[in-house]
This record gives sequence, structure tokens and C-alpha cells, in this order.
Amino acid sequence: MSLVYSRRAFLQSSGGGLGGLALTAMLTVDGRAGSHHAPKAKRVIQIFCPGGMSQIDTFDYKPELDKRTGQPFDPDGDLQFFASKPGNCQGSYWKFRQHGDSGLWMSDLFPKLATCVDDMAFIYSMHSKTALHGPACFMMNTGFTLPGFPSMGSWVTYGLGSEADDLPAFVVLPDPRGLPPGGIINWGAGFLPAEHQATTLDTSNPGQPITDLFPPRDFTAATPETDRAGLEFLEQLNRLHREPRSGNSELDARIKAYELAARLQLSAPEVMDLSSETAATQQLYDIDHPETGPFGRQCLLARRLVQRGVRFVQIYCGAENTTAKKIRPNWDSHEDVVRDHGYWGTVLDTGASALLKDLKQQGMLDDTLVICTTEFGRQPGAQGAEGKGRDHNAGAFTAWLAGGGVRGGVGYGATDELGFKAVDSPTYSYDLHATALHLLGIDHTRLTFYHNGIERRLTDVHGHVIQEILA
Amino acid sequence: MFYLGCVWLIALGCSATAADEPFDFGQQIAPIFEQHCVRCHSPGNSKGEISLATFDDLESNEYVIAGDPGGSYLIELVTSQDGAPPSMPKDALPLTDDEVALMRRWIEQGAKWPQKIVVKERSKADASWWSLQPLNVTRLLESSSNAPKSESRATTIDDFIRAKLNAHNLTLSPRADRRTLIRRLSFDLHGLPPAPEAVDAFVNDPDPQAYEKLVERTLDSPHYGERFAQHWLDIAHYADTHGFERDQRRDNAWRYRDYVIGAFNEDKPYDRFLQEQIAGDVLWTSSEQAVIATGFLAAGPWDFVGQVETKSLELRRSARALDLDDMLTQVMTATMAMTVNCARCHDHKLDPISQQEYYQLQAVFAGVRRDERVVSDTALKQYEEKRNLLIAQRNKLEFEIGRLEGQGLNLADIVGGGNGLGTGTYRSAIDPRNAKVQTSDFGKLDNVVTNQFSPSDFEFIDGVFIPDGDVGKADIPISSTGITIKGLPKTSGDAWDMIRNGPVASQHSPELGGINFTEDGHSLLGLHANAGITLDVSAMRRRLIGEPLALRFTAKLGYFGAVGGHYADAWVFVDGKQVAHFPKLRRDDGLQNIEIELPPSSRFLTLVATDGGNGFSMDQIGFGDPIVKLDVAAELTSEERERHAELRRERLEVMAKLDALGPPPKFYGVVAESAVPEVQLLTRGDPESPIGDALRPAALGSLAMLNSELGTLQSSEGERRAALALWITHPDNPLTRRVMVNRLWHWHFGRGLVDTPSDFGFGGGRPSHPELLDWLAEELVRHDWSLKAMHRLVVTSEAYQQTSYVNDGADTVSARRIDADNRLLWHQNPRRIEAESIRDSVLFVSGKLNPQRGGPGFEDFQYQEAYAPIYTYITADEPALWRRSIYRYTVRTTPNGFLTTLDCPDPANLTPTRMTTTTPLQSLALYNNDFMLRQARYLAERIKQDVGPEQQAQITRAFELAFGRRPTERELRLAEDFVHQQGLFALCRSILNSNEFVYVD
Repeated sequence: MSLVYSRRAFLQSSGGGLGGLALTAMLTVDGRAGSHHAPKAKRVIQIFCPGGMSQIDTFDYKPELDKRTGQPFDPDGDLQFFASKPGNCQGSYWKFRQHGDSGLWMSDLFPKLATCVDDMAFIYSMHSKTALHGPACFMMNTGFTLPGFPSMGSWVTYGLGSEADDLPAFVVLPDPRGLPPGGIINWGAGFLPAEHQATTLDTSNPGQPITDLFPPRDFTAATPETDRAGLEFLEQLNRLHREPRSGNSELDARIKAYELAARLQLSAPEVMDLSSETAATQQLYDIDHPETGPFGRQCLLARRLVQRGVRFVQIYCGAENTTAKKIRPNWDSHEDVVRDHGYWGTVLDTGASALLKDLKQQGMLDDTLVICTTEFGRQPGAQGAEGKGRDHNAGAFTAWLAGGGVRGGVGYGATDELGFKAVDSPTYSYDLHATALHLLGIDHTRLTFYHNGIERRLTDVHGHVIQEILA
Repeated sequence: MFYLGCVWLIALGCSATAADEPFDFGQQIAPIFEQHCVRCHSPGNSKGEISLATFDDLESNEYVIAGDPGGSYLIELVTSQDGAPPSMPKDALPLTDDEVALMRRWIEQGAKWPQKIVVKERSKADASWWSLQPLNVTRLLESSSNAPKSESRATTIDDFIRAKLNAHNLTLSPRADRRTLIRRLSFDLHGLPPAPEAVDAFVNDPDPQAYEKLVERTLDSPHYGERFAQHWLDIAHYADTHGFERDQRRDNAWRYRDYVIGAFNEDKPYDRFLQEQIAGDVLWTSSEQAVIATGFLAAGPWDFVGQVETKSLELRRSARALDLDDMLTQVMTATMAMTVNCARCHDHKLDPISQQEYYQLQAVFAGVRRDERVVSDTALKQYEEKRNLLIAQRNKLEFEIGRLEGQGLNLADIVGGGNGLGTGTYRSAIDPRNAKVQTSDFGKLDNVVTNQFSPSDFEFIDGVFIPDGDVGKADIPISSTGITIKGLPKTSGDAWDMIRNGPVASQHSPELGGINFTEDGHSLLGLHANAGITLDVSAMRRRLIGEPLALRFTAKLGYFGAVGGHYADAWVFVDGKQVAHFPKLRRDDGLQNIEIELPPSSRFLTLVATDGGNGFSMDQIGFGDPIVKLDVAAELTSEERERHAELRRERLEVMAKLDALGPPPKFYGVVAESAVPEVQLLTRGDPESPIGDALRPAALGSLAMLNSELGTLQSSEGERRAALALWITHPDNPLTRRVMVNRLWHWHFGRGLVDTPSDFGFGGGRPSHPELLDWLAEELVRHDWSLKAMHRLVVTSEAYQQTSYVNDGADTVSARRIDADNRLLWHQNPRRIEAESIRDSVLFVSGKLNPQRGGPGFEDFQYQEAYAPIYTYITADEPALWRRSIYRYTVRTTPNGFLTTLDCPDPANLTPTRMTTTTPLQSLALYNNDFMLRQARYLAERIKQDVGPEQQAQITRAFELAFGRRPTERELRLAEDFVHQQGLFALCRSILNSNEFVYVD
């Protein structure tokens, strides 16, 4: 309570003008949306698996496809996928089993995640408007296939602000191998004010996790002492400048921003420091493993961030533009599902299961919404000369949610018997976004921003809250 | 809408008097449904379960029983039951009694609903919307005559501003001082601070016309065009890469950027400026600048994967539909602030733009696609002639030099399109199937025909082939003269990638025997099995010596694939005779030294790689450092030594000329498709659901003063664009002019008279000073569409020159109560400068700004080729990277983080107004970023150089450079203490972070 009060008091003292509002990304205020209703979730951790995760080999159990393995998928040769014509039906490369009290199916690709199944709600009937990585990633993140729209994290912080006054409201942890398809505008603010763009935390650089947090080490003229003295002098200069310009509260906001920056210099390195976590926790996330460790670190870091009041954390499990050669740099398994999904499956399994268990142990899962998604699914028909790959499939994929008011152990929607197309309650990103916003206490039709002629929304003119997966 | 609504009611009222007169459904009943019902009750809207768009649902559900209004459920729904309000329409005003009466009588008379009438929701605004009306000269004359002014004086901007202020008991603030004015003007028109000397000169200028002269000087500077081009490129969402997933480079896009800068600087009439950008290539075919102007149409993002790479036609159609939408939206919002894109899936909900009109506008652009294009065939021809001539000169010189130096010809370089002396392109290649030049990587080749010789256009290459010896039986042709070889083994007949200057695609390694053949001083002719290449030795001899002497071929041959079961065969032939054979060569075998004499009479040297009979996988045969040179190097005579020096001088001259020639005359624009595709209306905007007839190109019908026809189905795409350009710039088109003068106002005051500069529709703002807006729009034409004339009008107004200071006095408190938002302009708006301006200003005051204008953009990143190229930003710390930000090579998916943090917008978006935010990340960027720290240090060095070691002078100079003023006593004292403890660098760093540096009063 006292924290909230002091932040409000600050806003009042800063004049409450445009500049004051501009600080919401680091401060809790009664945001543009505020709460439309009582929220179930206070914060979000979203895991994004770029490249197109195969629903057939992971969550969406298709015994009929197994039976038809080896038979032509498209006997008449009518279909043309993104990069190929379909080969034969190919069942899951991993055996499916039922798990938990709910008895939901999951493949052996995810042995650890399978133990969390009673906390997870699956949307089996996701589909996308496009089978192209870039536009589909944009759609999943922003609701539009074109670049230039605000990502869900931007909308959420625009609506709710932050709970932290010393960390950014929206943080993204890209895969250490590189950026996802479409690049950094996947977490951009689009036409929302730039303060709502995500701040990237560089997990490989704990000394400088945020760009320009400190002067470059080799710039020796900037010592901690001169830094401090310079800021003091700067404030004096700014206050003298301020005196005759009493009407302009933006000037106060800018003075305040330097104070907040100094606070960020203390809090960011602290949150990056995983050594204070217990050995058991470090082991749970397997943070020292050469392959799964980097993603485990990101998941653990995400928990630390939301614990300190960050509103929205997005983690990428896979990259795009990288020169790494050994395996596909993300889930885009055109040539070899076993090789690539095998690799990335283990990575996701370890980190995501650790995150769910840890949040639960810490008592945070109840008000932390965890979302895991990809931009589209993969084809039930095989691809490639050897038939070991799968092509893009915009018609079906699976997303899952957990915590934050989500009912565990349920499935929603369904694909056809081969997992080719969503047929029962087909769902675009809109419903997923509407549901996530609903859990955060926001009515998705009322979170709007005027841009070039249109009151824009995350859900465009669509979206229904999926009641079936709410607790 | 409200206005027209009244007209409806009057019409209905009249007809209601004649009870038995036949009904006009379209005129009388349809409007009722249109106004009250179809918002919810329309097809595809799940809110209202039934649809009132057609009669079907009403009839089948018995909502309407013809002849029986009492039994018709519809009437029950819209009339009050038992004192309760009517249950329909929900959450809206009920129907009037007259409307209900009309409805009853319509049912009574048989409820006739003509099949062809479909009732649709009406947009909120109709053709009577303010912005669609002709410029209202009468109105403005009336209103300006109310303004206090003498009869003889001409109307000015201030008359309008004052009239509004007076009406609200407000007044203009006092004129700002000269220091403030020159700083304001300089940032507004140049995006840079004024130099201290310019400030002094202006402040001390005794001329009463000093300000007007300053305005002229400022408008004359080329910085003006650089500044306003940035504004325009924001509207065009210009960048130097395609965006989307692959985000490849657009290396020739800059010509359009330079065009825009030039157009502003030469004050190109605004109508012509627009005409050129929409159809310059059609209207002025011989003007290179007018052709380049069409880069406007292609300035936005483009999805290579969706439009080219994918094999799915459905995905391509979808990407193409969005591509056309982007082009069309850009043109219509930039020029006329009409949000036509809202009518892609349905009629515009707010503005009078039908879905059909949207697709008719799309028909204007349906015949073009974005692509690289030559400025003109003549220009390209001239350029290439000049270039080829210079290259020929250089080659000739290099041959002579090479001959004198005893240097040989490098065969890898020749494969890369070079002259053998280093002019070839690394990894450029020749296709073994057809001898075509290829630059991209290939995998396993399709459509292979073995044992087919393809002659090459390269001087030193005779041709190429893909061998299959068929167990020694096949005659394999290896030269253009018909030489064949026999005795090669059976191969798989497959081939991988190209014959390359460098490693082949996916080559295991370029390293063998301790040598990395991609490093400087080494070269590699990559020859993956199965492939063969024949080199023209006699042509080399001709070039090298011109005499029939013996040559020698040397190389380090090896198998560059992985160890394991992989191996391949390599062969060398001279004039079809086998001179070397390396069977089953493996990586473990290391490098094989080749030394082969080419006798004076020899003509062809042939290199072949075959797969060893175990498939062609991994068979990366390579010839390292492959050279053909004179067998015996000659001793130089003294004349030859002189000649050698002379040749080297000449070569330098030619190289300089080549450099000066610059990049080819190409730009990124639009090219015509071979035929204009038919455009149909797409149901719900879905490219898979076209409906109705092919649409003629047309503009918006709601502008009644203009003819919206833009051609016929037969019109060429060029005619269509030209017609649209002329429609947009037609003198009677009121929007185009209103929109542009409003943009100028926005750029000068921080907010437009209409505060949504790219939306003049119902969803946008209303003009704060409608009379002034129309007057300015008239002035634009009176000044022959000169934008500089409009700048003059605005910046010399008193409204512009007033102070932005707002104190806490009683007047201010009352003024704030009346107009807190300053819509009436009782003071100037203080503004934070934009991201690019901050960067440019830092460079300007540190003295490092590189004034070089135009040409390819500077790249403040490292570029790495990949499926999706990687752009890694570097600290801009060299003169080439210290140019103005407008000359930056802008990357869409990976924007410059420093500028983005400072609110530089994403070029995926059309940006009519820049946003200003204040965040801690900005503070960190300005305080700690490497570029900023280095510039602060340069500033300190500059100050020391300017005024020497004396501390007060240094501090004074710092204030003058950064703020255009001297420090106050108090500031000086503070700064002296600070500099004493922390040094001049620390002072400069703080000053570049200060509010005064980034805010303009």
C-alpha cells in the first residue's frame, strides 16, 4: 500500500502532465485501462517457440495418423504447402501417453513437462492467417500479420503499467543464438509510445545486461565517481533551467528519469545474479547444462523478474537469423523432425517444467499467467526426399497456458483426425490474447489506442474470452 | 450523417400524407433499417442473430407477415409493450412514431423488398463531412473581416489566431527574444542548433528586417531539405531494407531519399512533387528525377518470403493483397489523409468510402510491383559504357603490369568473373549446367543434363559441363571446338552447387594442409563433383604475352569434404589429353601439388571432378591458388622498369575514375507487371473470395467536385497512376491542400490545426481554426504550390514568434483554465527535439558533423550475409559515420537501438506525428552510450582548441556551443567547481544530457 501511495504522490508532484504519464513503464499508476474487472493474474511469462512447433509430435494426440503412416497424405496432389507438396502421412515421432489426474495426452518428447499436465490448459485448435514465419510471429505477438503493431507485452504495460519502480515493465529474453523471425519488432511498441517497447535483457552479459546501463568498461574517463558527480551537476543545471519554465512538467519528468535510471543500475545487476538462488533451484533449471542451460537460465531469470514486479516477460526458445549450422536454429524442422524437435524439445521441456514447478513452490503460479506458444504448426504429411521433415501448417497448432486463473488439466478445441486443420472451435491469436487480457483484468475491446484513423486493439475487431479454460 | 438523416425524415414525412401511394422501399424503408438495425443485424455479425440486410431472415422467421402488421413480430419489437420501452433497437433511441407507422403501412401493402436492395450500415460521416467540402472562401472572407485590421492591409495568419483568442479573452504571448528565435528556427528548419557565431550575428543585427533575412538564409541552406525530407520519409515509411523475415538490403533506395531532399531544397511545387512521386515515370518519362520520385510508391516494407520464396500460391496472393494495401494506404493517407485502408474488408464505418471504392483504388496500383529499376535506359547505358571502358583500360594496364612483374592469371578469379588479377567477385560462380553467372548458393541441382557442353561468355573460359563417363563408353564434349574425352568412370550424374570462386555451398571447410584458402593471399576454385570446366589457354596467352610461348599451370589440389568414407576423383586435361588423374582423393590425402606445362601450341586446359562412384555427397574438390603464368619469368630492362612505373601511375588514375563513377543509376521503385491483373472486390478482404465484376480504376466519389473516373478496364497501369496523380492534385481537390498546409503547421507548432495530420475523416480531429486552414490552403495555390512560401508565412507570423515560456502569473492561471491544451495558441509550444536531431546536434556541437550530402547511406553496423542477414551495430566513431541521420542506412527488423530508445519510429508504420516519451532508458542512452561519451570527449577537445586552457573561457564556450548563450553567473560558479573536480569532459557530458540541450523553447 505504501509503495503505491508514494508512487502516486510522485506523479502528483511531477505535475501529472504528459511527462508524468510517460513514466508509467517503470511506475504503477492507474493505467489507461486500469482494471475493468478483478484480475486473476498480475503478471505474465510468455514462452515463444519460433519456427513452428509440430502439434503432432508434442501435444495433439492423433492415433489415426499413426495408423495411416506411409499412406499418401494428399492422394490427388491438390495441396501445395509453403515449400513443398505433401509426402506420406507421418505419425508422431514420439510415443504419446496419458498423464496426471486429467489423463491428458503428451508425447515422450516432454517427460518433465508431462508431470505438470494437471496445471496446464491446452488450446488444440489454434490456427494462423499465414504460414510465413515473419508475419505469423507478428500475428502471434501483435494480432496482425504486418509489422508495426504493438506486441501483447506493450499493450499490457500500456494498460496496466508496472508493479516495479526500479525495473522495466516489459522485459524480453531473446534466445542467446539470435533474434526470432521478423527481428526485434516482435516486441516493439509499434505505434504505442516508445516507453512500451520491451527492454532486452542480455543473459550472456551479466555486467551490462541492459544496453548502456553503464559506460563501456574501456571508457576509462567515466568512473563511478564521475558518473555520480556528473548526475548531480546535471540535476543542478536542469533545475536552474526549469525555474522560469513552470508550465512544462515534461522537464520534471526528465529530471526524474535520471534518478530512476540510477535505481535501475542497482536493481538490474541484482536480478541477473542467479548465484543467490539455492543449489536445488539451479539444478531444477539445469542452468549449467551446455545445451539446455541457456534456456533454463532465461526461465529462472523470468521468475526473478516477475518476482520483483516486472509485468510481462517474454522468453524465446529458438532464434532465426544465425549462422549456426549444426541443427536448425529453431523449431523449423523441414528436413529432420527428430533431430531438430528432439533438440529443442529437450530444451523446452527442462526450462518450462522447472518454471511451472518453481512458480508453484514459490506460491506465485496462482497469480502468474504462463503462456507457451509458437507461430504455427507443422504438417501431418512428411516433407523432404527422405520424408523426415514437416512443412509449415497455418491450419493447426497447440498453445498452452498455466497459472494466473487458468484451469489446469483441460483441453479446448480440436483438430481433425490427422491434425491437419483446427475443426472444433478454431482459434486465432485473438482469442488467446482476449483470454490473457481478461485474466489480467482487462476487457480486450476497451484497451484501445488511436492510430492513423482507427482505434486500434490487440484483438483487431475479433476475440472472445475462452471461458472453458478459466478456473 | 445527422444532416442527411434529417433530409430522410422530411422526405418520409411528405410521403406519409399520401396513404395509398406506392412505396419506394429504397427511399423510405431501407433507410430505417440502415439507421437503426443493420449495425448488429447484418451477415456475419453474431451480435444480432438475424440479418436485416435482405428480406430472407425476416420472412423465414416470420418477423414480417406480408399484409399483417399486427401479426408481424418486427412491429412488436420496435413498439412499446405494456409501457416498457421497445425491445429493439437495443441500447439506442427507439424508432419515431412516424417510422413505425411507415413500417406498418409497408407491411400492410405487402412488404415488398426488391431483391437487388441490400441494406448496409451507413458510415458515420457522409459526403457532407467538413474536410470533403470545397475550400470556403466566402466563409473565410466573412470571418476575417471580423478580425481587427485595417482595410488596406492583407490578411495574415495572425488575424485568424487573434480573432479566436479575442473571442476567448486571450492574447498572444510576447515575442521571444532573438536568441530563442534563431534557435527555434534553426531546429525547426534544419534540425540542428545554430552556430554561436550565427546567434551573435543575428542578435546584434541592427536591420529591422533581420528576422526576415534570417528566415531567407535558413530556407536557402541545404540543411532545410535534409530536415524536411525526414518528415516526408516518415509519412512514406521509408527504409533501406525490405523488412519482414528475410529483411534483405535495398542498396539503391537512397536515390529516392536524395530526390526528396532535392525537391524540398529546390522548392519543387507541391502538386508537381506529388505527381512525380505517384506517376513521374509516366508523366515525365525523360526526367530522371521524376522517374526516381516513384520510389515513393515502393518506400514501405515488402515480404520477399510471402511474395517470392514460398511455393504456395495462396500465401502469395495473401502477401500481395497486403502489399497493395500498404502502397495504396500510403498514397492516400500521405496526400489526402483519408484512411481508405479501413474499407478493405467492409465499407468504411466512419467515412464515406465504400469497399468497392477501395478496390477501385487498388486497381490503380494492381499493375505494379516493387522492384529495383534503372533510372533510365540511356543513363544505364552511358554508365555501363563508361564503366566498361574504364574496366577495359584497367585490365589492359594490369595485364601489362602483371606481365612485367611475371605475375600469372588466377583461375579462381576468372571463375568469379574477373580478369585473373583480382577483379573477380568472391563466391561468384558459373553454373555447370548452362555457364550462366550465379551469385546465390545452390544445393543439389535440378534439370541436370550430363555430357552437354555449355560455352561461356567469359574471355578466358571456353565452357563447362557435367560429366558421366558411363564406364568409359561416353564421349564427353569439353570444348567449343568439339574436342571430346573418353574413359571417365560412371558417375551418379548429379551435381551440387556451382563452379565457384571460393568454397561451394555448404562446403565442409575451406582449410586443408594448414592453409585456409579463403584468407588473404589465397584463392580457391571450388569444383564440387560432378562438374568440369575448360579454360581458354590461347586467350590467356594472347593477353599475357601476345606471343606463342609456353605457360605453366600450378595449383594445390585437394578434397575439402569431411573425413570418413568420402572421396572423389580429380582430372586435368590439356587439349583433351589427360595430363593428371587423382583417383579416390580423400581429405586425409592433403594437398596435391600440380605443375603442368602448357606448350606454346596448347589451346584448352580442362579441370574435372567426378564422384568416385560412391555418390556425390561431400565431394568438394578444390584447386587452391590456381595460377596460369609464363613458364619462364623475364628479366626487366631499364625501359621496362620505367614503363612499369608509368603503368602503375595510369592504373591509379583509372581506379580513381572508377571510384568517382559511383553506384549504377538504379533505384528502388515500382515496375509494371506484364499485364494489369483484373481487380475484383474481395469479400471480407479475403483474396480467396473475390466477388462481382472486374472493377475499373476510380477515386473517391465523396469528393463531388471531382470526377472520380480514372480510366477503363483497358487502361494501362501507367495511365491509371497518372490519372490518380492528377485527381489528387486537381486544383479543386480541397483535401490535398488542406492536408499539406496542416502538416506544415504541425511541423512548426508541434501540433496541426487538425491534430491528426493523416486522418481528416470522422475518426480524426476537427480543425481548431477551420477558416485559417482554408485560407492557408488557398495561399498555397496563390503561391504556385510553393512550400517555402508557406514556411515564410508561418514562421514570420507573430503566433510563431511568441514566447513558449509560461509563468505562474494570474494571466497564465486564467489562460490555462480557458485553454489548458493551448489549442488556440496563446503561447508557442516548447518541444523536445527528435531522435535524429539529438544525434545530429551532438555531432554539430562536437564539431564532428560530416557535411557530406547525398549518395548511398552510411552503415553504422556490420553486415553479415545469412538467410536473414544479421545487422550488428557498432559505435559510430569515424567521419564516414558522422553524417547527418537522414543519410543513415535504415534497417527495418534491426533498427538502431540508440535512436529507437529516443523515440525514432518503426519504419513499418506511416508516422505523421512523432511521439515524445521520457524514460530512464533514454537517460541511460544519453549518459552512457559509447557514441555519446566519445562525442563529449570530442567536444571537450574542440573547446580546448577553440579557447585554450582558461577554465572560464572553456565553460563559456561550452554553453555557447550547446545552448547558443553564455552561462549566467550562478551557472558559471557551479560549473567552475565541477570542472575543477571532474574535468572538462565531465562538463561536456552533462551538458549533452541537459534539458536545455534537447528542449527548444
